[in-house]
Amino acid sequence: MIRDIYAIYLREMIRLKRSKVRLVTTIVMPLLWLGIIGNAFNSAFQTSMKIDFISFLTPGIMVMTMAFTGTISGITTVFDREFGFLKEMLVAPVKRESVLIGKMLGGVTQSIFQGIVILILGLFMGMKFSNSPIMAISGMLLTMFLVSMAFVSLGLAVASKMSSMEGFQMVMNFLIQPMVFLSGAFYPVKTLPSWLKLGVKLNPLTYGVDAMRYFSIRMNEFSIWLDLSVLAIFSILLIAIGSYAFRKS
Amino acid sequence: MVAIETRALTKKFNGFAAVDSIDLKIKKGELFALLGPNGAGKTTTISMLSTLLKPTSGKAIVNGYDVVKEAAKVRQSIGIVFQDPSLDDQLTAMENLDIHGRLYHMPGDERRNRIKEVLEMVDLADRADSIVRTFSGGMRRRLEIARGLMHSPEVLFLDEPTLGLDPQTRRHIWDYIKKLNREGVTVLLTTHYMEEADTLASRVVIIDKGRIVAEGAPASLKDSIGGDVIKISCTKPEELKKAMEKCECDITSEPRITDEGLVINVKKAEEIIPKIFDISSKHGIEVKSITYKEPSLEDVFLHYTGRAYREEEGSEKDRLKMRMKVMRGRR
Repeated sequence: MIRDIYAIYLREMIRLKRSKVRLVTTIVMPLLWLGIIGNAFNSAFQTSMKIDFISFLTPGIMVMTMAFTGTISGITTVFDREFGFLKEMLVAPVKRESVLIGKMLGGVTQSIFQGIVILILGLFMGMKFSNSPIMAISGMLLTMFLVSMAFVSLGLAVASKMSSMEGFQMVMNFLIQPMVFLSGAFYPVKTLPSWLKLGVKLNPLTYGVDAMRYFSIRMNEFSIWLDLSVLAIFSILLIAIGSYAFRKS
Repeated sequence: MVAIETRALTKKFNGFAAVDSIDLKIKKGELFALLGPNGAGKTTTISMLSTLLKPTSGKAIVNGYDVVKEAAKVRQSIGIVFQDPSLDDQLTAMENLDIHGRLYHMPGDERRNRIKEVLEMVDLADRADSIVRTFSGGMRRRLEIARGLMHSPEVLFLDEPTLGLDPQTRRHIWDYIKKLNREGVTVLLTTHYMEEADTLASRVVIIDKGRIVAEGAPASLKDSIGGDVIKISCTKPEELKKAMEKCECDITSEPRITDEGLVINVKKAEEIIPKIFDISSKHGIEVKSITYKEPSLEDVFLHYTGRAYREEEGSEKDRLKMRMKVMRGRR
């Protein structure tokens, strides 16, 4: 079982290593956010809060990047189906669950890796931890794992309902983008009008952003236990949906 | 020893029987071909034998294991080359084989030795570290065959192994298939190319619309329809048919009217042809052309199904399929 999962995971890692172009392109957008928006708002932001905007924005951009890459890597199963490699895995003496777990872990690794790249970029641009670095990094890793797991599963669930790559853009535009915009990744949630605040509160991604800020800059809107529970429940739910959809397809 | 045995194997899709009560018995070491036009049920049969599809009814035993109850054991003991490409084209040839070896639980050093062996067998040893995306269609096919053999299966399934390949590459692939069969691997291949079944297989099953219509060695199948095959294109085929049935000639089976004209199987064509001219002029029938030849598997198919065998229908679809594959590959 473990060996089977590792074989599937190994393939995902080799593919990741080969797709340097994709890695670079997915880092360009967050870099623009941090570099331009981050610096542009920095001066305006500092007057109203004690934390500078780069420190505030970096955890948000990390979550945004992980939501995008997680979903994309879940969707790569469509490629497997189209290029026939899925058959090679299904006819091997390997359990369906092993294939699923191997692919999920591959997606999670990629997603966390990108989150870490953003964090390093943020630190270079002047982000500062308010917690001890060990506490900050281990807490962020936990949050990153939960967020990645949820969105890789979401990608898997979507992919098994999709027959072509055409639906892909729609999912990104109509599902992931609004979730990112409504998550407080780019702005503080506290001062929002109440109708908008409701949308933010109903969005599971909000709690991911909030947990990231709690661990890195000790700034949180909700209790950390609420954050982590919402994230855990959201992940488990999506893992269940994702694996059900994968097994059916 | 029996490698594959099926009893009344059936697969229905929405009530339509794609495979209709097929009985097969394939001995160890045989090179066996399932021959039939597109849509005859060949791929469906292979999918059931390789545990990808569950049979609607009936039974199939592969290497002594039941395909439904002992699916994992069946999978470990078979190798398969699918009709559609199934390599990871972002990986190198070596990596594709290595992942395959891992999925079949081969230990590390055994994996490394076997990769060398199978790559040499299909003449790809010098391309071991090239990424598959850079491979031609023929090279991909060879690599897929190597991958199918990687874990030393007792039975190898080949679903249309030379589909869409040029004649020269096709002949190469045939050589590999013959070679590995000589080394003791049981091979079950499907094909809609008559020539492929004829040159490769020691035994052929012809299937049409999900049913077996004929079975035997290519030579004995051809003998079974007897002597030579005469095709006559003429003005009143019905009348000529009746007249021929009454005449005292060595006709080995009932004459049939097909799209290509009247078809008669006879012992010796040279002796019958003059009689045909006599009879037709007596009845005022105008003969446009007469051809005769020793029977091919095509004639066997015609004989048993009453329809002419058309490879072109299939190849048109295949060409479309290949074109789509190429387009997808580019993206």
